[in-house]
Amino acid sequence: MSPPAVAASGLCKRYRRAAGGYRLRTLKSALLEGSLTGGLASGEVVEALTDVSFEVAAGEAVGIIGGNGSGKSTLIKLVAGLLPPTSGELSVNGRVAALIELGAGFHPEISGRENIFINGALLGLSRRRIEQRYDDIVEFAGLGDFIEEPIKYYSSGMYVRLGFSVAIHTDPEVLLVDEVLAVGDEEFVHRCLARIEEHLAGGGTLLVVSHTMTLIDEICDRAMWLDGGRVRGLGSTRRVIDAYLESVAAREGEAHDRRRQSEEGEHATTAPADAAEEVARWGSGQAEILAARLLAGDERQERYHVHCGEAVAFELDVEPREELSDFVFGVGVKTPRGVDCWGTNTDLAGYEPRSLAGPVRVRLVCPELRLAPGEYTVDVAVHARDGRAYDYRRRALRFTVTESTSLRSIGLYLPDHEWQVETLAARTDIDWLSPGQQAGDQRRIE
Amino acid sequence: MLAAMVDLARTLVRYRSLLWTLVMRELRARYRGSVLGFLWSLLNPLLLLAVYSFVFGMILKRSDLVAVEPYGVFLVTGLFPWIWVSTSLLEGCTSLTANGGLIRKAVFPVEVLPAVAVAANLVHFLLALPIVGVALVAGRLLGYPISGWTAVLLPAVLAIELVMVAGLAFALSALCVHFKDVRDLLGNLLVLAFFLAPIIYTLSDLPPRFAKVVQLNPMTSFTTATQDLLFFGRLPELHVWAIMAAIAAVSWVAGAGLFSRLSDTLAEAV
Repeated sequence: MSPPAVAASGLCKRYRRAAGGYRLRTLKSALLEGSLTGGLASGEVVEALTDVSFEVAAGEAVGIIGGNGSGKSTLIKLVAGLLPPTSGELSVNGRVAALIELGAGFHPEISGRENIFINGALLGLSRRRIEQRYDDIVEFAGLGDFIEEPIKYYSSGMYVRLGFSVAIHTDPEVLLVDEVLAVGDEEFVHRCLARIEEHLAGGGTLLVVSHTMTLIDEICDRAMWLDGGRVRGLGSTRRVIDAYLESVAAREGEAHDRRRQSEEGEHATTAPADAAEEVARWGSGQAEILAARLLAGDERQERYHVHCGEAVAFELDVEPREELSDFVFGVGVKTPRGVDCWGTNTDLAGYEPRSLAGPVRVRLVCPELRLAPGEYTVDVAVHARDGRAYDYRRRALRFTVTESTSLRSIGLYLPDHEWQVETLAARTDIDWLSPGQQAGDQRRIE
Repeated sequence: MLAAMVDLARTLVRYRSLLWTLVMRELRARYRGSVLGFLWSLLNPLLLLAVYSFVFGMILKRSDLVAVEPYGVFLVTGLFPWIWVSTSLLEGCTSLTANGGLIRKAVFPVEVLPAVAVAANLVHFLLALPIVGVALVAGRLLGYPISGWTAVLLPAVLAIELVMVAGLAFALSALCVHFKDVRDLLGNLLVLAFFLAPIIYTLSDLPPRFAKVVQLNPMTSFTTATQDLLFFGRLPELHVWAIMAAIAAVSWVAGAGLFSRLSDTLAEAV
């Protein structure tokens, strides 16, 4: 077996906190120990990575996920050799190209052509080699005549494309990608992905940092989840991504609960503080919505992160101030930007009000919430049949729908669906793997 | 220490093509967008020379202090190398801090950056050398007994001087990463070093007690050696060569040592 392309064990990286009164100690430590943080107390350093161990086999593609500040970029920089680890072992076998910060050495005053040579030299390419690949580099960057212009006239997209192009043409064995694809246009991103696929097909190794889970899922064999500088998960891509999304949703749910609790506390003691708060709730006051909740799962537990397709119930506690003969309960689900996703009320459902006196608890139950993953807000209302509001609460609830691996699509709505294929001619031959099917046990539709 | 100085030299030789690429980038970029372009390499020192000749050769002219004639030609032989030394040190000092982006983006020996500053300015100096040549020939044609075959030894002095300047640039650049104050300090020290070197006057014109102070300036031996070779047409005394070699060696050892101790932490501290 060939040695792993990247092997790390017990990797730690500490940064000193931004310049304080300890410059002399830092210099002393740098001189004596070759480390900036040696002479500093724990309060003066930030630990970006703690005890990170992993191996990436040659030819493997590994995605690194995690929130901002979780140490992803630091890890990539260590592997790239841009930063030395504070402690731990790290070995990298093979030529490395880091698509991290592109365009090293680009000088704004001089032309793209000349900058290709400077950048290439910094990345370790000989002048001859750059000359050989020059046409490929320019073509891949897709800059056309602009290559002769000083790069200060380039758009940021052109700049990144040129940098990416030079870096990818260094024929790396280990390719490190850190969210650089975000800048290019759709066409360029496709070209990059094709290039990355080519790299993998040619037996190259890939380490990619991205917040785009679909990208990680698509190209990676395994994923690593970093949280606060530690490895929280390492293994099959789907599993690690699900665990990560689950934890994000749980955290958001908690934050939401806290917000709600503090809001409720405020409402009890003080009047609405600002105009926006007031506009978020209006009505004649003939009835009042005392509370609104989202219940999720079969056990109907109050929760604000739900899976796609999970059972939910919107619950309202309503108390009329006087006996009402005209009343409608309504619920509307919207995106945070205000796009209506779904709304209904008891009038639309055909209920005819007769009379209401005393508090009630109303529940709108959906056995399967068919909303695509994302953030949603909920308006709740009690009003008259002609639309006059007794109490209208905008964005009374907020919840997150997380992806489930079996139900994935884009958009807002996720109906039950499946794909079917029929052959239309005798010569038709279609061959593919259905989801969940392994390469070994492929069946042919004939 | 010894290993560091050899390593540094070896790295620079190994990465000479990168070094050259970056020097060319520096030279190309500097005058890009200016009408006169590379001519500024000639014009800059020429204009400075004109200012100094006017101020020291005419306004402040006192024959009891500066007896040397023709003053302009004398000035050029000391001033031009000085411009190279001072700009190299100033740019070398900030070469790491100014290229922080580069250091964070690419994996390459950062040693080349101070070397690029020194080399780029050396190129400017070499481009301006014809002016020195013209001045010497003109002085000769006017009947002054200046220069001679000794001028061919100039490369030897410049080579030793290069080692000194590079060593200082390495030390200054690494220190400047930790303390930006170094740059301001250096600016002032260079002014002092300029006036305490026999560039606008000759050593023999000074009262002995001042001459002693001036002798302490490391730039003094390099300046007098250059003036001997180019202007006075005589060989520098043996002990001047020895002093120059010693200064260059000390500066290289110190610069290489300091730089190699700090190089691991530069990418982060920059």
